[in-house]
Amino acid sequence: MIGYSNYFYRVTILARWLLLILLTVPVLAGVVGVVLPAFGYFPAIGANAVSMDVFARLFALDDAAEMIALSLTTGAASTLIACLCAFSLLAVFYRTRVLSWLQGLFSPFLVLPHAAASISLLFLLSPSGFFARLFTFDSDAIPSSSQSYFLFDELGLGIVLALIVKEVPFILLMALSVMSQPLIKEKINGYFNVGVSLGYSSISVFFKLILPVLYPQIRLPLLAVLVFAVSNVEIPLILGPNNPSTLAVAVLHWFNHIDLSMRLMASAAAVVQVGVAAVAIGLVILIENILAWLGERSWLSGKRTFGDDGLKLLSLFVVAGYAVLVAGTLFNLVLFSVAQHWPFPQVLPSGLTVLHWQSVLEAALEPIINTLILGGMVSLTALVLVLLALENEVLGSFNRAPDKAHSYQSNAGALLNIALFLPLLVPGVAFLYGLVWFQQIALKNAVWFHVYIAHIVYVMPYVFLSLAIAYRKLDSRYAMVAQSLGKSPIRVFLSIKLPLLAGPIMVAFALGLAISFSQYLPTLLATGGAISTVTTEAVAAASGSSMRLSAAYVIIQAVLPLVGFLLAWWLPGVLFTPRKVQINNKTTSPQPFRGS
Amino acid sequence: MALHLKQLNIFKDGSLMLSLDATVNKGEVLSVMGPSGSGKSTLLQAIAGHLATPFSMTGKILIDNQSIDDKPPHLRGIGIMFQDALLFEHMTVEQNIIFAMPKTKRYSVSKKRESVSNMLEAVGLEGMQNRAVTTLSGGQQARISLLRSLAAEPRAVLLDEPFSKLDTALRDQIRTWTLEQLRCRGIPALLVTHDSDDAVAAGGQTFELLPC
Ligand SMILES: Nc1ncnc2c1ncn2[C@@H]1O[C@H](COP(=O)(O)OP(=O)(O)OP(=O)(O)O)[C@@H](O)[C@H]1O
Ligand SMILES: [Mg+2]
Repeated sequence: MIGYSNYFYRVTILARWLLLILLTVPVLAGVVGVVLPAFGYFPAIGANAVSMDVFARLFALDDAAEMIALSLTTGAASTLIACLCAFSLLAVFYRTRVLSWLQGLFSPFLVLPHAAASISLLFLLSPSGFFARLFTFDSDAIPSSSQSYFLFDELGLGIVLALIVKEVPFILLMALSVMSQPLIKEKINGYFNVGVSLGYSSISVFFKLILPVLYPQIRLPLLAVLVFAVSNVEIPLILGPNNPSTLAVAVLHWFNHIDLSMRLMASAAAVVQVGVAAVAIGLVILIENILAWLGERSWLSGKRTFGDDGLKLLSLFVVAGYAVLVAGTLFNLVLFSVAQHWPFPQVLPSGLTVLHWQSVLEAALEPIINTLILGGMVSLTALVLVLLALENEVLGSFNRAPDKAHSYQSNAGALLNIALFLPLLVPGVAFLYGLVWFQQIALKNAVWFHVYIAHIVYVMPYVFLSLAIAYRKLDSRYAMVAQSLGKSPIRVFLSIKLPLLAGPIMVAFALGLAISFSQYLPTLLATGGAISTVTTEAVAAASGSSMRLSAAYVIIQAVLPLVGFLLAWWLPGVLFTPRKVQINNKTTSPQPFRGS
Repeated sequence: MALHLKQLNIFKDGSLMLSLDATVNKGEVLSVMGPSGSGKSTLLQAIAGHLATPFSMTGKILIDNQSIDDKPPHLRGIGIMFQDALLFEHMTVEQNIIFAMPKTKRYSVSKKRESVSNMLEAVGLEGMQNRAVTTLSGGQQARISLLRSLAAEPRAVLLDEPFSKLDTALRDQIRTWTLEQLRCRGIPALLVTHDSDDAVAAGGQTFELLPC
């Protein structure tokens, strides 16, 4: 109707397309780059016959089935257990004061990189680790390699534990963010009040009334968690068994093998990894359906409780577990990084020194700078594109002919939703190698560019999802008022919307930094080890011998994103509160006034 | 200055929701009344240029016989006010008002400051330039909000239930003052309201929307 086209609107369209391209092209190209070698096409080593041979060789390996089973069971088990824990925490503590305390307890785990979480568990649970020290009373004991039941075991219990530790906070905080959206919050509160007034216990209200509202909203992110759980490499690399390892770890080793022909095997395994992720998703969908069926029956049963006592017990156990973990890890890591001599099985070191930190900081300076530059560039790009794309949603609804507008908006929206979850639902090992292959063909030495693209693929979805809620919630009348004052859309965007959204924008930026900081596989692969970040160094240190260096790196890994979030929380108030605030008593009381 | 609405039809999902044909002369106020959901706010958004899916319109909107249909909202010169003051919280009172002033060579920043100071004095809010808007009372916010709209020198003003959140005593005061401001500046205005007292005070024609 209005039909005006302006420069700013075109920029937002461009941003939206760029965002779509950055999310999809690397993933799709990467998949192609893995599928081709998997079917025997890899010109670099003279292989260009398309066949199923490589898959045949892969499945002929003795432990192929075990690797697949290990990936599937650790990933699926951890996600299901984590869901149970997170939902029972929500059911037990929703609408209590404990909840905000829980948010505080869990938030650090959300931003702690997976690698750091695994190393922390290694420190606590290894045969010479902190818990072994606590429970070894014979002062001459030497750490035995069989004493740890959790690490490197064939069932992958260590992997499951580490995944659960990372997943429960993620699921809980994600659910809370959905539950805090005004419309959903209103609905949930209503259901809660009605349910309780009908005599249902608050826990049964949660499972019977609130979870059915909540679950569809968190389903896609949950599946993304599942895919990550069956296919990540850093956790099984640090905590998992070696013979056989998980499939993803095997892929990593085969790709890095000196014998280039192993690349074919690696690619085939990466394709199988996609299948494993698909099977895991299928399994979860099956479980969803069974639970939904049981759920409907439970509405009819009229039972007013829902395993209340068991869930309360579980929740207390989970909270206690996290408290022990936080306290143990903090104590252990900090002490390790300043310990002089700390022989097993003493619970305290013989003395303290800051000397390690001097050498650690010297060694870590370059990785820290790399990490910050990379994270800063990636998050800034993602933030700018996401803001413009969100503004495009707003402008787009005015700039179309009315009959076309609706379908355009919903098509574009559907496309974007798929694109946002594409990098999270396709296992990293399945496309990053292919991506690297193409990147090396196209621009051999642009290492920074390659790693920048690999990071952006992962950072963009999180920045978008975290900003979209606040952006779409912003009262559109502010923009109308500003435009009615004669301000152009770009002015309204820059001087009204961005300042009003300063808080969420900073948080999204900090989240982008945290996601970038925590990337292990994308960094390792895209740079071929040429650029070291805090996370790649931490994993290297953990498999090396220096416990002190590992401890220091984990602390740095934990502190960097936390500083980001603290700044995000503190800066908007400082920057966007009018400075010259003075209360003038004479004029604050209501006074009669006259027209001019 | 006069605002002409020529055979305005507003459609929701393609079916007619309301139609209106009216002229609002210089300094006059057209009151629009009707039940909730009858499309009053939508009418104002159509005039201001904010109409979005699922709504569409036909007809002509003219100011001083100049069509504004093809203009983007920010170039229409139409001020819009809601029941909330919607002051920009990251700005002070003075910054809110100066933000609204047209960008012309005529005014230097110090001139603008001086004029803000005069405007505030005229409404009994002298010395409040540097207050954070969140520290103002509801009535004070309403006054600043109107000053902000007027500072943009609009050619017409649209008011969407601007007084409905004020208590009775304050409402009379603000209403009298707002209408007087519009009248003596000769600005045509559309006033959406549920309160027939508002329509009576406005003194102009009244347009009743039917439930849709
Ligand atoms: N974005 C939208 N999408 C679909 N329908 C809408 C949208 N906004 C408003 N409507 C519908 O259009 C109709 C007119 O809405 P409008 O806000 O103009 O009513 P109103 O007369 O201002 O009501 P009130 O007196 O309650 O403010 C209503 O039936 C409303 O439900
Ligand atoms: Mg309305």
